[in-house]
Amino acid sequence: MRKRATAGGIVASAAILALGWHLGADQVAATTVPATGTAAGGAATPSASSGATPSSTASPSATATPTTGTGTTKSSGKAAISGTFQGTTEQTQFGPMQVEIVVAAGKITDVKALQLTNQGGRSVEISNYAAPILRTEALNAQSASIQSVSGATYTSGGYISSLQSAIDKAGL
Amino acid sequence: MTSTLGTRSAPRLPHAPAPSLQVAAKSRRRDHRRRSAAVDGLSILVWVSGALAVALYLASPGAHILGSVSSVVTALGIVAGLLATDLVLVMIVLAARVPLVDRVFGTDRAIAVHRSLGKPVLYLILVHGLLITIGYGLADSKNPVGETISLFTTLDDMPLAYLSLALFIAVVVTSLVAVRRRMPYEAWHVIHLLSYIAVAVALPHQLSVGSVLASGTWQRVYWIALYVVALGAIAVFRFAMPAVVTFRHRIRVIDVEQIAPGVVSIHLAGQDLTRLGVRGGQYGVWRFWTANTWWHAHPVSFSSVPDENRARITVRDLGAGSRRLSRIRPGAFVSLEGPYGLFTAKARTAPYLALIASGIGITPIRSLLEDSPLRAHEATILLRGSDPDQRYLWNEVAGIARATKSDVFAMIGPRASHGDAWQSAEDWNRGVTLESTFPHLLQSDIYVCGPQAWTDLVVRDARLAGVPEHQIHQERFTS
Repeated sequence: MRKRATAGGIVASAAILALGWHLGADQVAATTVPATGTAAGGAATPSASSGATPSSTASPSATATPTTGTGTTKSSGKAAISGTFQGTTEQTQFGPMQVEIVVAAGKITDVKALQLTNQGGRSVEISNYAAPILRTEALNAQSASIQSVSGATYTSGGYISSLQSAIDKAGL
Repeated sequence: MTSTLGTRSAPRLPHAPAPSLQVAAKSRRRDHRRRSAAVDGLSILVWVSGALAVALYLASPGAHILGSVSSVVTALGIVAGLLATDLVLVMIVLAARVPLVDRVFGTDRAIAVHRSLGKPVLYLILVHGLLITIGYGLADSKNPVGETISLFTTLDDMPLAYLSLALFIAVVVTSLVAVRRRMPYEAWHVIHLLSYIAVAVALPHQLSVGSVLASGTWQRVYWIALYVVALGAIAVFRFAMPAVVTFRHRIRVIDVEQIAPGVVSIHLAGQDLTRLGVRGGQYGVWRFWTANTWWHAHPVSFSSVPDENRARITVRDLGAGSRRLSRIRPGAFVSLEGPYGLFTAKARTAPYLALIASGIGITPIRSLLEDSPLRAHEATILLRGSDPDQRYLWNEVAGIARATKSDVFAMIGPRASHGDAWQSAEDWNRGVTLESTFPHLLQSDIYVCGPQAWTDLVVRDARLAGVPEHQIHQERFTS
């Protein structure tokens, strides 16, 4: 009787753990593949490592460039929306957080972190590891309805809010 | 051993005629199968809840990225915290007196499991705090002390989490057997109630800092649902139900009868008491609303099965609180939690019945006997007292035994001096054993009630004799 319960418990637990692992592994696969190109260089500023495309070495002072609406042909339909749109700066417990999105023909093609939470050594590390995951999630979802990253709640929260405001600005 | 007893009172006869051996055996087998399936189901549910706690973490974004030592340490810390939370909620449900748990498991066994989880859960909580601090510290290149300070100061909900840790330590330490024995019950109980606060103040850091429970995730929905279920069970079964029972039945003391030095039968009157569904052998947790006794709840067995308007419990002055009970006046208002317990004929699995009672342990045996439909010579009863004063309710038991053609033996005298026998010294020397007393021992359900050390010895001998575990029934009287 006890044995049956223990055996049943172990089998059920193993199945559930395997399922959880599998679900998590899917997300890792989704995040690591596109992010591989940028894996290097976490040492510099947190924003540099998270600016995912190798070409765009986003500087924290990107606020100066008049980005909003560049190149948008203001015709009808979302498909026509293109350009770079900055999100608002979100204040978090660990510092400010700001992203911008690159939109091509109504599709978010990149999310760049302009400012990442960087107060305290740990939050830099968190940002470096959370930002690529959040970026991939956002690109997959094509929206700001994405899940927070484990161990990076505040960073995720700021990222998602800023992302939402950028999407709003783009009118997607 | 003397085999006859003086008789006087005429207890009520069992309500139903005894079913034939085959019919009884069949229904008992079926009941036993159902109960053990339910026990297994509930045990598996506990495993599943633990696995879900970990699996939900594994399924959350980023849980798989274990690139550095610090992230591995942190991940293990998170898992420890999630498992601890899950087990704390399991403990709450076990202590909630859920009727299903009482029916298949017995409240005493549920509480025993609740207790056995206390220390492991505390270790998990400590490991959680330690590993997270070390993991964060490695990431920040801070030592654990510095990291603790920064956790304490930079995160809003962390001071509360540390308070929760301190409360959990207090609750578990005061529940260690060695410590608890030295404390008055009330002091222990008040400290134990702090565990509700400990659970409550741990929650904010789980919701804000703990990203597995971050807002907008389905993990958060799951965990909050678990909290609602566990705390809801407490609210319903420990507070609402007893209140309903108490006000529905309006139980009052009508007489306090001294039946032996230090032992009183408390006679109670109430409305519609059969609706309580008390089975012989069960107990209630009683509170007598007088100036001296209202703050102490007593777990006491029914010493007879209640009828429409009357119930009776019998209690010995085991502590200061019980002593005050003997001074209760008729008319006192009584509140009741229960009935609880699986020390009943419902739990039987075998064709014969062996009842063994010592001292005040007679009370559930007395009502169990009354509530058991019996064939002639199906039941054999052994009554044990260390001196002639301890023959509480023996006359009543003898009366029921005569009416049901059951066999009764009595054994009076102190235990053998080597302290390793449940028999009296005299009967030990004569070679009296369970086998020699109970003619069908291996085909019997054995119900044992008495002081714990004595009960343990009887149970040990029953096991040595080869009685299957499911035929051994005991009620552990510790709350």
